[in-house]
Amino acid sequence: MATSNVSSVSLSLSDRLVAGILALMIGGFLVFGAGLANSAVLHDTAHDTRHSYGFPCH
Amino acid sequence: MIVKTLLAAIVAGLIAGVFMTAAQELRVTPLILHAEEFEGGEPAAEPAAAGHEEHSSLNAVSPLGKLLAFVSPITPAYAHEHEHEEEGGILFGMSRFSGTLLANLVTGAGFSLLLAGISLTIGHRITLANGALWGACGWLAVHMLPALGLPPELPGFPAADLGERQTWWALTVLLSAAGLYLLALRGELVAKVAGLVLIAAPHAYGAPQPLDISSNVPAVLGAEFAVAALATTLAFWIVLGVVSGFINDRVVKAG
Repeated sequence: MATSNVSSVSLSLSDRLVAGILALMIGGFLVFGAGLANSAVLHDTAHDTRHSYGFPCH
Repeated sequence: MIVKTLLAAIVAGLIAGVFMTAAQELRVTPLILHAEEFEGGEPAAEPAAAGHEEHSSLNAVSPLGKLLAFVSPITPAYAHEHEHEEEGGILFGMSRFSGTLLANLVTGAGFSLLLAGISLTIGHRITLANGALWGACGWLAVHMLPALGLPPELPGFPAADLGERQTWWALTVLLSAAGLYLLALRGELVAKVAGLVLIAAPHAYGAPQPLDISSNVPAVLGAEFAVAALATTLAFWIVLGVVSGFINDRVVKAG
């Protein structure tokens, strides 16, 4: 919050929170789907990624 | 403006995901493929023993199983899925590499959005100057600290119940992230102590561990893999943080 003339903080506080919470929700969904979701198709597609990111899977 | 901020995070994540795929192909995937050769020697196990099924090294390797594994076009890592899931296979019939690339892009965008989301909600910008630090904290929270309890595992490694491990892992990531925030961005002594407690708590509780730690996969491979996985993810997070900072400085600011 030290800066005032740069944009992602020049978003108003409520816009910043909306953007932040949206980002957290979408990001959490994507990471869950690629990393943790218990679906065989997702698991097999993401197999090497899951292992190398150290996600606990199978 | 909100959309632009989110798009900037996604683009940074996609760039880091492409980078991660290259790093994985060089350092990590060869080890996974190598480990699957050992995993493939195991006979089909009892689906009833959920969580431990493909990890017993006590059972003898049947010659028939070996022959089948040799003839089958399905790699062992995919084959063992079919023991407890009726459907499997790679999305859209892609190759293994493109599946990994897709998963890395999705994961990269996901982690990038999470990082941006934290940055936006707590009101600390990610810039080119502090991007590497943001990335390093992400790596600590998502990879290094959870790995103290649950090291990155190769296919065929013994492991405790999946649900327990995922719960412990997710909670550790959340607590570590909160702890790092208190430790790094709060000035008060109380906050710093609380941060350390949050970081230490899941390790004091202890990660779920397998009962039987014997495995067909050589330990040396496991050690190489753990180091390779942590090193490539560290590189991924630093690229992610720096690219996010760069995009924030140049693109989002200009708008």
